[in-house]
Amino acid sequence: MVGWTAFGPELYTCFVLGGVFLVFSLLPANPRRDYVTAMALAAVGLGISIAGLHLTGDLFADTYHVDLFSQIFKIMLALGLLLAIYLCEHLRGIAPRRHAETYLLLTVCTLAMMMMVSAVNLLTLYVALELSSYSLYVLVSFRQPRTGGVRTAVRYFLIGASASAVMLFGLALLYGSCGTLDAATLMTLLPAAMGRPEVITGLTLTLGGIFFKLALFPFHFWAPDVYEGAANPVAAYIATASKVAAIAVLIRLVALGGQNVLLARALAVIAVITMTAGNLTAIVQQDLKRMLAYSSIAQGGYVLIGILSMTPAGYASTTFYALVVLLLKFSCFFVLVKVAAGGRNVAIDDLAGLHSSSPILALLLMMALFALAGIPPTIGFTGKLLLFTAAVQRGYFVLVLIAMFNVVISLYYYLRVIHAAYLRKPPRALPALNLALRDRLLAGVLVTFTVAAGIFPAPLIALAEAAVRVLG
Amino acid sequence: MPIAYAGFPFLSAILLSCVIGLVTILFMPAAQHRRIKMVSAVCSGITLVISIYLFLAYDKSAGGLQFAERIAWVPSLGISYFNAADGFSLPMLLLTGIVFFTAVLTMWELETRVKEFFALVFLLVAGVFGLFMAQDLFFLFVWFDVSLFPMYLLIAVWGSTRKEYAAMKLTLYLLAGSALILPGIIYLVVKSGLSTFDMLALMQPGTFTPFQQKLAFLLFFIGFGILAGVWPLHTWSPVGHVAAPTAVSMIHAGVLMKIGAFGILRVGIYLCPLGWQYWAPLMALLATVGIVYGVFVGLAQTDLKYVIGYSSVSHMGIVGLGLSTLTIDGLNGAVFQMFAHGVMTALFFSSVGYIYDRTHTKAIAELGGLSHSMPRAASFMILAALAGIGVPCLASFWAELMVFIAAFKVYPLYGTLAVCALVVSALFMLRVVQRTCYGPPRSRYAQLPDVSFKLGIPRIILATVIITFGFFPSLMYTMIQTASLPLMGGLPW
Repeated sequence: MVGWTAFGPELYTCFVLGGVFLVFSLLPANPRRDYVTAMALAAVGLGISIAGLHLTGDLFADTYHVDLFSQIFKIMLALGLLLAIYLCEHLRGIAPRRHAETYLLLTVCTLAMMMMVSAVNLLTLYVALELSSYSLYVLVSFRQPRTGGVRTAVRYFLIGASASAVMLFGLALLYGSCGTLDAATLMTLLPAAMGRPEVITGLTLTLGGIFFKLALFPFHFWAPDVYEGAANPVAAYIATASKVAAIAVLIRLVALGGQNVLLARALAVIAVITMTAGNLTAIVQQDLKRMLAYSSIAQGGYVLIGILSMTPAGYASTTFYALVVLLLKFSCFFVLVKVAAGGRNVAIDDLAGLHSSSPILALLLMMALFALAGIPPTIGFTGKLLLFTAAVQRGYFVLVLIAMFNVVISLYYYLRVIHAAYLRKPPRALPALNLALRDRLLAGVLVTFTVAAGIFPAPLIALAEAAVRVLG
Repeated sequence: MPIAYAGFPFLSAILLSCVIGLVTILFMPAAQHRRIKMVSAVCSGITLVISIYLFLAYDKSAGGLQFAERIAWVPSLGISYFNAADGFSLPMLLLTGIVFFTAVLTMWELETRVKEFFALVFLLVAGVFGLFMAQDLFFLFVWFDVSLFPMYLLIAVWGSTRKEYAAMKLTLYLLAGSALILPGIIYLVVKSGLSTFDMLALMQPGTFTPFQQKLAFLLFFIGFGILAGVWPLHTWSPVGHVAAPTAVSMIHAGVLMKIGAFGILRVGIYLCPLGWQYWAPLMALLATVGIVYGVFVGLAQTDLKYVIGYSSVSHMGIVGLGLSTLTIDGLNGAVFQMFAHGVMTALFFSSVGYIYDRTHTKAIAELGGLSHSMPRAASFMILAALAGIGVPCLASFWAELMVFIAAFKVYPLYGTLAVCALVVSALFMLRVVQRTCYGPPRSRYAQLPDVSFKLGIPRIILATVIITFGFFPSLMYTMIQTASLPLMGGLPW
């Protein structure tokens, strides 16, 4: 019985959340009922995940490992689900009769990601990864008008399918040369075997599947189209929860190889290309979601810097940064959803006058963007400091210099958004945005947390360090 | 280095009054302009009073770091909240207090988006104060960035003359500087093997190899040098000065550029003395080019604020030249010049701001005969111009004198060039004064009101400071020496 308790958060997500919405999707459409139920159930789910923080155990013939590392990421995923559902209040981009299915798929995707962060057998990992990807393909296709949504989903699917193929090939190579896909066994075998070409190729190709999830070069091309083509809350979910899960898996996989210099160099090259390409392309974007997509790509490059240092400090800093990405990207999408009239996409110019129509949203947007650019005293700065310190400890000083110049480039396009929100006059006077009290409260909490966690990061850092200790 | 811990946390009190001012303003209704200004004046006044008290209460015979406060912040990373003041930081704290208080009073007539303006100014100044007192590299960097990013909005919202371009250029330049400083800091912390950001621990001789010092000093010199207006990285500064509203120009040229020079001194020179020695010839060359370049480009300007902007580049070059001499006189002169230039340039921007608000022009050709219609405004400007030239009995005279004496000994050629450039600058400053203040009175300016007593207060304070330290330079000199003597005495060569 102890084993099944360890599976608690997943069981809840699967049977309660999934079951309820499976039933709802068969009943006549009722968006309000769906939204309220989803919020309540997701909030309870977050509570259960938090309660399960200190669970440990092995399940399913040791292919599934529950430890502090996985549980911290599960809390983040449950939080990501709750926040994404929060944005679905009106869900104008998706037809009402599909709302229940939307929640169902969000739930299934979250379940899959929870399994991703706990999977210690690479085949289990692959199955969980595919489950989460397929949920997202369908979610993306829900966007109204359906022709646009389906077109985006097909493009997403094609790139995703090729990334999966690459990953499967990598798994086959690994299995062929090591005779196992069990992470713990691989961890003892791989450091010694990393000199063999088929092993390092196998591990790198396996990482390709995760690169797709995190939108890293060369699998990053889908991100702008999918962000633009998906309904706003779905794009928010992809930018937050999906990234968090990918970061967790990437940490687990890279940790398998010990401290391999060749792999680290390959990752360093990918990091540099990813962040530079992301930042330079973001400069010319006019659509806010496309800009955020390229900024996400660049953030993925920074994440890689922490991972490629391959030290506990590096993994801890990356874990910390996963929370940073989750909260800051959500803040941006929160503003976007509130500003987007009728669930449309938002151009950067559409933010003109936000400062007077809703000061709190403008403040939230400014803080989130400054934090993404790593300006102190915000959580984003602390995250970057940790990442870069870990990298310099391993001697990647030039890489950090390049990353810092990327940060300066990113500031240019973030400032363009702030410029629009604070300085640009709207073409016609906008009515004041009527935000519900809970929206204003949430915005206030996000701003406070962004700054407070930047000033007092010690408890979060301690938690992240404890989490990666179990990686061994 | 001796440390004396404070019974009462005066340094934190300065920061706290900035934060209280900021928070109070944020929670006040935006329409209550007068009350917001009163709160700003009171809180900035408190910072001024504390900084004067600290300047006078510092025990010069004991020296070292005083008024220290220390709390462990993130123990696992070796970050502590560690503030202290010495003979280098106290003049800077005093300068910040003076410029902050007078800048708030100068903006008494502001009517647009008052609440946000003062809130951002408080944030900016909190960063500046914090940087001058920080003894922990982490906090030093945090304060550095906190003092930079409000500038974007301050210039872009309340500025003039190509303000959005200037704001973007300034922000990107300065953050490019911080993109060098942060890796430099991380590099030193990691290479020390001490896993601490505490500067006192890191500055022990032998902590860093000569190569590490050279590399890190170069990063700090360029990174902080951008902010200090080191040629050829100065181009953001005149544009930014011109575009900024008066109070921001005052704070910016008066205090913010000093952060750059202070950063080179506090981080670069203290932690990497061998790097300092190695790169000193380059520093001297760039500083001299900056002095000469600032003067000659200033000659060609037709906009009053551009004239001051380029003279700032030239004057900050004198600071750089002083630092590059590797002598006690040079250090003393450089720090004194940071203080003197800060007060002088604040007075200059303040008086030009007044003239611009009334005449609505900064073009030198359109002004003229102002001493007839507004004699008091004109005399403040003339005093600032004289101080800029380095006329004896004004503060900057002593500062420039010390730097030039040191420079003649170490770099005779550069010293000569710099002095010659200063003569030319005298010529152009006097021409500017002559064209704007003298000449036949212009009828369209005849009805303009002169500086009232209330608006005159900030200018009088600044003028008094310039004259006081001009007559009693030893007040400042003895203070700076408490820090420069031990620094030079403890050097490895």
